[in-house]
Amino acid sequence: MNKTLKRNMGLLFITPWLIGFCVFKLYPFASSLFYSFTDYNLFKGLHEFGIMNYVETLTKPANQKALIVTFKYAFMTVPLKLIAALFIAYILNFKIKGVNFFRTAYYIPSILGGSVAISVLWRALFKDGGLIQTGCALIGITAPNFMSDPNWALFIICLLRVWQFGSSMVIFLAALKGVPQDLYEAASIDGAGKWKQFFSITVPLITPVIFYNLVTQLCQAFQEFNGPYIITKGGPRNSTTLISLLIYNNAFRTYDMGLASAMAWVLFVVLMFFTVIAFWSQKHWVYYSDEEGK
Amino acid sequence: MKKKLLSVSLAAVMALSMTACGSTAVEAPAETPAATTEAAAETTAATEAAGDAADYEECEISFDWWGGDSRHEATLAAIEAFQAKYPGITVKYNYGAWTDYETARALEFQSKTAADVNQINFNWIGDYDADGSVFLDLNTVSDTLDLSQWGDEYLDMMKDVNGGLAAVPVSMTGRIFYWDKTTFDEAGIEIPKSLADLRAAGKTFAEKLGDDYYPLALGPYDRMIMATLYLQSKLDQPIIADGTFNYTEEQLKDGLDFIQSLEDDHVIPSLETIDGDAADSFDVNEKFISGKYAGILEWDSAPKKYVSALGDARELVVGEEFTDFGGKSTGVFYKVSMAMAISTTCEHPKEAAMLINYLLNDPEGVAIMATERGIPQSEIAVKTLSDADALDPLILEAHNKVMDSAAFALDPKFEDSGLKSTDNGVYKDAFDGISYGDYTTEEAAGILFDAFTEVCQ
Repeated sequence: MNKTLKRNMGLLFITPWLIGFCVFKLYPFASSLFYSFTDYNLFKGLHEFGIMNYVETLTKPANQKALIVTFKYAFMTVPLKLIAALFIAYILNFKIKGVNFFRTAYYIPSILGGSVAISVLWRALFKDGGLIQTGCALIGITAPNFMSDPNWALFIICLLRVWQFGSSMVIFLAALKGVPQDLYEAASIDGAGKWKQFFSITVPLITPVIFYNLVTQLCQAFQEFNGPYIITKGGPRNSTTLISLLIYNNAFRTYDMGLASAMAWVLFVVLMFFTVIAFWSQKHWVYYSDEEGK
Repeated sequence: MKKKLLSVSLAAVMALSMTACGSTAVEAPAETPAATTEAAAETTAATEAAGDAADYEECEISFDWWGGDSRHEATLAAIEAFQAKYPGITVKYNYGAWTDYETARALEFQSKTAADVNQINFNWIGDYDADGSVFLDLNTVSDTLDLSQWGDEYLDMMKDVNGGLAAVPVSMTGRIFYWDKTTFDEAGIEIPKSLADLRAAGKTFAEKLGDDYYPLALGPYDRMIMATLYLQSKLDQPIIADGTFNYTEEQLKDGLDFIQSLEDDHVIPSLETIDGDAADSFDVNEKFISGKYAGILEWDSAPKKYVSALGDARELVVGEEFTDFGGKSTGVFYKVSMAMAISTTCEHPKEAAMLINYLLNDPEGVAIMATERGIPQSEIAVKTLSDADALDPLILEAHNKVMDSAAFALDPKFEDSGLKSTDNGVYKDAFDGISYGDYTTEEAAGILFDAFTEVCQ
């Protein structure tokens, strides 16, 4: 084997990945940036260059509303999902009877994802005269019209994602298993109760995992598409039209690829901003047990 | 051993889950059961199709269509019979419901990966074949596809920008009222024959049956059509003709006020109420199925799914086109309900034309398809079905009433995807806006006017 070949053997091995990366990631990424500065329509072609798509994305009321709804969705879903996942993981970390069954049961919603079956289930639960309204009526409470009230529709979309906390829960569970038992024993001897132990031992020691879940869930929430698409189609009155749904509608309903690309880039920048904030903030609250500590 | 078994099981589950990730549309080469072949052979003996050709090539052609279950079943049976009649031609098919069908096909047209034979909507020629490069000029296969079965006025509606024949119309259609007679009987009144009857029914329903009973239910697009019928009748001119929008903002406002008055008079439920039902369409809406929504304004070719939704307990009947909107005509329009086209990328246009001819002109194929795509426009198809008494009486009655009262042809621009889209179309925004109280009818008229003007530029 000659020297050049030997030196480039590594490159040769990663060539298939590089080709895939360039064709399926880099090229679409770059071309969407290019198209975002054009008026490219799939069936009408490209006639104009400029920043008009960015101006429209940021100034048109419908687009502004979609951005606000996306923020609302992300800031409601992420904390609720993390709290639910951590709470259930904490309980499932105790040695209780049938714990494996409960772990499986709580994980199942995560693998159901956004499917037609979930859409049917959610609609049956939340439609006018559905299971939730009927149940509330039985105990004398008048429930809102979840599917048709713009103030409540986003709530049921958030609830769907919060309900699917299984994957975060599993990660939290793994982290909880890694917390040394002797710390709890020492704390017990010192008279610390369960809550004190949780907030003073458990939470600090699993902050790297909380941080990881926070970033991944934040990315997922800002890109959420399935929930509103299958359940409410963005309605009523665009109250569940998240920015990803608007991107889809512009790209594949009206074929305005230029505008859709600009919206995708705005979403990317927003997401990047919050991710950078999260990474910047970790030095203040995330504990790494290496030589540096934090 | 246990570990091995677990590995194999996990691998099998993964393989299954990967399969489940694939397209939900059905796509498989059709087979030819012996029973169907025998049935086809019997039918073939009756009459030879105009496009019958002995010198075809053995090949595989693809065919895409949308529809409901009964149309799928009939089309699959027709494909099997076609393959039996022309051994060596294999038809690879792909079918689905209307939802998202257009999006998928549009991308295929753009990327030149569409099926050889396509069931298309009439506005697709202008929308997706703007330069005439997507659909084959069917005049080039006229020795196989018998074009003489269609009147020139109908074929003219299918021409592309270059004057080529982009498609052949399967059937013509228009909107008409269908009433749940059982509910009207329960209310003790006759089904409405006029707008005045309908308004009176709204009041009677609320008094006798309850506030959740309505004589008619209209979604956003249905409301636009109802407003169009009203305005076309009153103004005696089509909303769009030859690509030109004919109305003023004031006139549009009049149409919107009319629709809103129906909602105010308890004739139609608000769109908020319909959204609360959480149903994609009325045929799966519990309130329609239970008779609380006792009427719909639908295409004349589409009643079967509603009949089937109501079951035996309730009776769906065809209504009359209203003549009391206040104008000279009924305002009713007709349009090509759907058409068949061949992609320019098709490598076997003759064989593709043979399939279209079989489905639309060959008595054998026509008999199998019956009225699954509406009352056929092909003359020989109508004759074949009439002779065999195979025209669905409900569809035939609706179709005759529409065509007898139709005053105008609907311009394809009325169905522009930006206007009509059920998710983010302008019709939906305007009518939702009024019904939810976000827009006045004046504001909504302005939105519609701007959108129509832009589409018709």
